[in-house]
Amino acid sequence: MSNENREVILSIKHVDITFETGNKKKLVAVKDANFDIYKGETFALVGESGSGKTTLGRAILRINPCSAGEILFEGKRISGKISREEDRNVVRNIQMIFQDPAASLNERATIEYCVSEGLYNFHLYENEEDRVAKVDKALKDVGLLPEHKSRYPHEFSGGQRQRVGIARAMIMDPKFIVADEPISALDVSIRAQVLNLMNKLKAEKDLTYLFIAHDLSVVRFIADRIAVIHLGEIVEIADSETLFRYPLHPYTISLLSSVPMPDPIVERTRRHIDYDPSVLDQSGEKRELREIRPGHFILATSREYADYEYKLQSM
Amino acid sequence: MDENRNIIISAKDVEVKFRVRDRYLTAIRNVSLDLYEGETFAIVGESGSGKSVFTKTFTGMLESNGTISNGSVMFHGKDLTKLKTDKDWEGIRGAKISTIFQDPMTSLNPIRTIGSQITEVIEKHQGVSASEAKKQAIEMMERVGIKNAADRFDEYPFQYSGGMRQRIVIAIALSCHPEILICDEPTTALDVTIQAQIISLIRDLQKELKFTTLYITHDLGVVANVADRVGVMYGGQIIEYGNVEEVFFDPRHPYTWALLSSLPQLGVKGEDLFFIAGTPPSLFNEIKGDAFAPRNEHALKIDFVQEPPFYRVSDTHYAKTWLLDPRAPKLEKPEVIQNLHEKIQKMTDKGGAFHVE
Amino acid sequence: MEENSVKYDSDLFEFASYDKDESEHIAAPKYSYWKSVWRTFVKDKFTVGVAILLLILILFALIQPSVSGYDPLIAPNINNSEMRFIKPCAEHIFGTDNVGNEVFDVVWAGAKNSIIISFVCTFITMVLGVVIGAVWGFSKKIDKWMLEVYNVVANVPFLLLAMILSYVLGAGMGTLIFVMCVTEWVFVAFFIRTQVMIIRDREYNLASKCLGTSNWTMIKNNILPYLISVIMTYVSRMVPSLISYEVFLSYMGLGLGVTKASLGRMISIYTSYMNGYPHLFWIPVTVLAILSISLYIVGQKLADAADPRTHM
Repeated sequence: MSNENREVILSIKHVDITFETGNKKKLVAVKDANFDIYKGETFALVGESGSGKTTLGRAILRINPCSAGEILFEGKRISGKISREEDRNVVRNIQMIFQDPAASLNERATIEYCVSEGLYNFHLYENEEDRVAKVDKALKDVGLLPEHKSRYPHEFSGGQRQRVGIARAMIMDPKFIVADEPISALDVSIRAQVLNLMNKLKAEKDLTYLFIAHDLSVVRFIADRIAVIHLGEIVEIADSETLFRYPLHPYTISLLSSVPMPDPIVERTRRHIDYDPSVLDQSGEKRELREIRPGHFILATSREYADYEYKLQSM
Repeated sequence: MDENRNIIISAKDVEVKFRVRDRYLTAIRNVSLDLYEGETFAIVGESGSGKSVFTKTFTGMLESNGTISNGSVMFHGKDLTKLKTDKDWEGIRGAKISTIFQDPMTSLNPIRTIGSQITEVIEKHQGVSASEAKKQAIEMMERVGIKNAADRFDEYPFQYSGGMRQRIVIAIALSCHPEILICDEPTTALDVTIQAQIISLIRDLQKELKFTTLYITHDLGVVANVADRVGVMYGGQIIEYGNVEEVFFDPRHPYTWALLSSLPQLGVKGEDLFFIAGTPPSLFNEIKGDAFAPRNEHALKIDFVQEPPFYRVSDTHYAKTWLLDPRAPKLEKPEVIQNLHEKIQKMTDKGGAFHVE
Repeated sequence: MEENSVKYDSDLFEFASYDKDESEHIAAPKYSYWKSVWRTFVKDKFTVGVAILLLILILFALIQPSVSGYDPLIAPNINNSEMRFIKPCAEHIFGTDNVGNEVFDVVWAGAKNSIIISFVCTFITMVLGVVIGAVWGFSKKIDKWMLEVYNVVANVPFLLLAMILSYVLGAGMGTLIFVMCVTEWVFVAFFIRTQVMIIRDREYNLASKCLGTSNWTMIKNNILPYLISVIMTYVSRMVPSLISYEVFLSYMGLGLGVTKASLGRMISIYTSYMNGYPHLFWIPVTVLAILSISLYIVGQKLADAADPRTHM
């Protein structure tokens, strides 16, 4: 698929995110993140804990400020200082699905309030009747029942709670959704349901997802393009098929090799490859994200780039 | 399979109840399980299936409102369900049977050095001198993959990463040379690459130190790698068990089918993944028939009336489902998990999505 | 197995109908926060007994004075020495005092004012403290200068301030309430600020922020409902302690004037007769103790019941 003719919905332009950690020390959580997300795709950001993936996701929602670079949504800058009206516009159009449904729902509010919260804030309903109808519809869309409205979050199972979290984001009719590990706190048997649901809603509502994950097995199923992030740096970006077919960066390969396969015979001979940064070029040359094939980017020095190129040709 | 293996621990008809306010919850309903010396048995189940509770009866670690209301757990001729006080458990819990938990911080003391926490266990169980204990502790740390163990001996848990902490917990658990190691979701809180390392570490140590492992997880994907035998738990019961190949390649209980089918590794892009609708049964209520029936699209009428018995599939493989009754209609397992081995083989061979070089 | 084949027809071995929505239903009865609070509260029979006793005491204190018509300025038996210092007996339940008034009437009139003062003060300080504390804890910007305000107000010597105010404004109910509230709110606010800061950064608040919820709505719907239990605990300690405060101030002569009865004034006057007529002293002190302790017990239990962790 050629990316040139596609409409960019969100653009991350050379974004750095740093945190003060006391003693005037700075923790660089994200270094020079630079990529575009196209309208209608599911873009996955894969990395382990501490890789900066959540930090970057939250920067899009204006929770974390960028210390350098900027973020554009539909061509308009949404990072840094923006007007109140623009801020409201970001909230309307960019929603978030959280990792832990138990922690991200207000335990003292009914499901009706949780799902209506966004409607109230923007007064997105004509009258009470209309609001209730919208809530019912949103619940139905995620496979819950209208009778759940008067219940409290703790009465639900993990999977149901996560669907409440999805319903309250969807009711805003957003264009873009940041899904921050939406299934990793759930039981394996429930995960599939939430993934299906996200796919279904995406098709119905013409959404774009930024799907944050730590596990490539889930991403293969849901993502169109994948960025792999390691210690704050994006090391590889490619469309899903390419990344699985021609993984180049040793870290990507390590991630891929650690996906457990549900087959005892295969597992007996499968090798787990640890990521060893010492195999990289130690010359000290600054690494840049280079496009090695159309749409396939890799973080490399010029020597590493040549190695990757050689490897690609032999594949 | 070796038929004459020794049974090291044998649970029979174990029932566990919890008193929650004024109500009783039956968390474990008559579970029996024999573990063989040196094997790895994996218990798979979603949260609330009772998998952790069941294994806690092996170490007497049930929460204070829980009681073993029926059954026995025999270990070296002793019925562990009869042990009450910490003194009764001395020499068993943390000595012959050790546990590794999901969150390493629950087992580590944050204000004591790593080294002192390991040496304490060694001194206590082996009665060796302090300097000998330190030597052994450093050896143990090296064995679980801590580089510069001697230098890191005096560091505190917060100076270790999550994966490193779990390695230390393993070192502590193994430093008293247990006969049984219970791993309660030891990798759920860890990153995938670390998970793979910890699993292979446990496996290597097992080969070397020859202990028996009871591995608890909610992720069938992990099980293929670690287990010799697998038991699937649902609603406080084991509903299917067998050798790992049997459970993966010839599963018989619809719940096992569902668990396998819903793995994202098997998903095809653009198609729906299989999923299990609904929620696990409330253990406060009396469960009639097959606990999985309300969520089972292949449920028979009898599943709502009578609890199925275990049917024998092979000498080592049993499943508790009416579908195996001669009177039941013939039903094939779902398409996604048919020819599982061929499918996975294709995925991991050259050109497959999970092929790595 | 043999038994099964006899007992069950083969038509039971047919597929049952399957409804996906069926398994989404929640079987447990509906949860209601306040109902659960109530249920947990009434479960403890002892506290319910104390609560009933407390209610009777309060009602009696509020009604009895208007029936007896007791007025500290009128002492009808002041010149009748036989009516003075009578020990408690059938005719005079609590006996009579130094000016020949029924101690029974005096004590209820006093209790009435003490209760009113402590309730009003608690109400004012809690409303002020919770609102200011919630905003203070929620906004990182105002925290810095609110801490300065706190440092100043909290360090004002209370007794000195009370003396100055009661001289400047004159003794009376209004002054007493003002004196008791003027610094107290800042402690409540500080307490609430700390509580708010604990839950402010929880993920569900972040979620609300992402939905565009305003800070005020968040304080109202996300923060305060979580604080009901700790606020109740605070109130249950504050009401009895303010009663004692009133007693203390009145005892020091900084409280109510001579026109108003109060437990504090009673104790302060009757202390002088401690030697000969100890009942004069002990009766108001006992009423004070019973009121304080039962208020505390009921309040603590309510706070406990308001914590959803006890609702199982």
